[in-house]
Amino acid sequence: MQDNLSDDHHHDPIEEGAALRVRALEELLIAKGLVKAEAIDAVVEYYEKETGPRNGAQVVARAWCDPDFKAWLLKDGTAAIHSMGFKGYQGEHMRVVENTNDTHNIIVCTLCSCYPWPVLGLPPAWYKGAAYRARVVREPRAVLAEFGLDLPASQKVRVWDSTAEIRFMVLPQRPPNTGNLSQAELADLVTRDSMIGTAVL
Amino acid sequence: MDGIHDLGGMHGFGPIPIESQDYRFKHDWQRRAFGIVQAVAGNTPYVADQHRYKIEQLSATDYLTLDYFEKWITATSALLKDARLVNDQELATGQKEFDVDLVNHPAVSADDLLSAMKIGADYQFPTNSQPQGFAIGTRVRVRSDSPQGHTRVPRYVRGKFGTVLATEGVFQHADSVAAGQGRNPQHCYLVSFSAAELWGSSVEQADDDILLNLAESYLEPM
Repeated sequence: MQDNLSDDHHHDPIEEGAALRVRALEELLIAKGLVKAEAIDAVVEYYEKETGPRNGAQVVARAWCDPDFKAWLLKDGTAAIHSMGFKGYQGEHMRVVENTNDTHNIIVCTLCSCYPWPVLGLPPAWYKGAAYRARVVREPRAVLAEFGLDLPASQKVRVWDSTAEIRFMVLPQRPPNTGNLSQAELADLVTRDSMIGTAVL
Repeated sequence: MDGIHDLGGMHGFGPIPIESQDYRFKHDWQRRAFGIVQAVAGNTPYVADQHRYKIEQLSATDYLTLDYFEKWITATSALLKDARLVNDQELATGQKEFDVDLVNHPAVSADDLLSAMKIGADYQFPTNSQPQGFAIGTRVRVRSDSPQGHTRVPRYVRGKFGTVLATEGVFQHADSVAAGQGRNPQHCYLVSFSAAELWGSSVEQADDDILLNLAESYLEPM
């Protein structure tokens, strides 16, 4: 195989399709001075390492341990979450909805894939996919059953479709027999799916 | 627009492809695509609703088959083209053919981009800056408009009756922003719909609820 290292635009022969298009676009935008590679590196690193559902788990665990914080979180999710430092793009306006014995909440964005990045990170592929977005507003209980969750008919399901600038997060119910755990230990129990509403703890 | 992106309530998509681990980029090009879309949003410039509208204009086939981040890159490339910062030939080859005005389109630094992402976008206006047409508890109907442009009213609630549960404040209007027609601020409401209202006799459980945030101009009084 010929490998001409003097050619700035030689491509790995196995690089094709989307990979090739993205590489061409990045090279073009850098050549034009429209983007800095280190800005791309920085934003990727931030979303891979510093955001994610561990942030949301800290919010949930604190709400379980501190009734005043929980009341604030449910009344003004934006202020309560921002006070913990979890703010930024796709988390500017937050509404936190509480699961109870009577009501189970679940979030979706049927039109695209809106999701509260500062507290949950980037959304899982299924959250962005057609099946979840199409079905969860019409048959939430069938969808929840696929996640292994069979809710009693007595528990109302509320589906929150993210159609504006407000992002939703579910406050899951505290698991039984966790009275002796610290807030940090409780946070370790909180899963991403429990804050989307596709799981309970 | 009444496109394939408006998926809520459609049949035929099969089981959810569940993955339980937290999100990871599967390919390095997805990382780069994600970063590029954020890095050029400010200097192109474009905002989320314009980016969403470009994705909505993909063909239905592409929408359902392209990788998520490939859709993002396609939309961003189209926005860069609209801004006359790149052309088709350049996008095809990755090789620069003309210089752009970097005074008006300066590249963002890593620090500035991160700090912008950590601050977030500014969508909101003072609550008393616009008239509020609907009080909490009001029954409302979603207008049955079917605009060709970007809108944040899913088809499945059009013409349906709901109840205003809360007022969210005054926000820029997605339809106007995506069309490049200014921010057109208006109140946003939290509206609840019963599953029975939306799905009729094929409802899964009649007394379940579906809740959406809807702008003033999407609603009409009963």
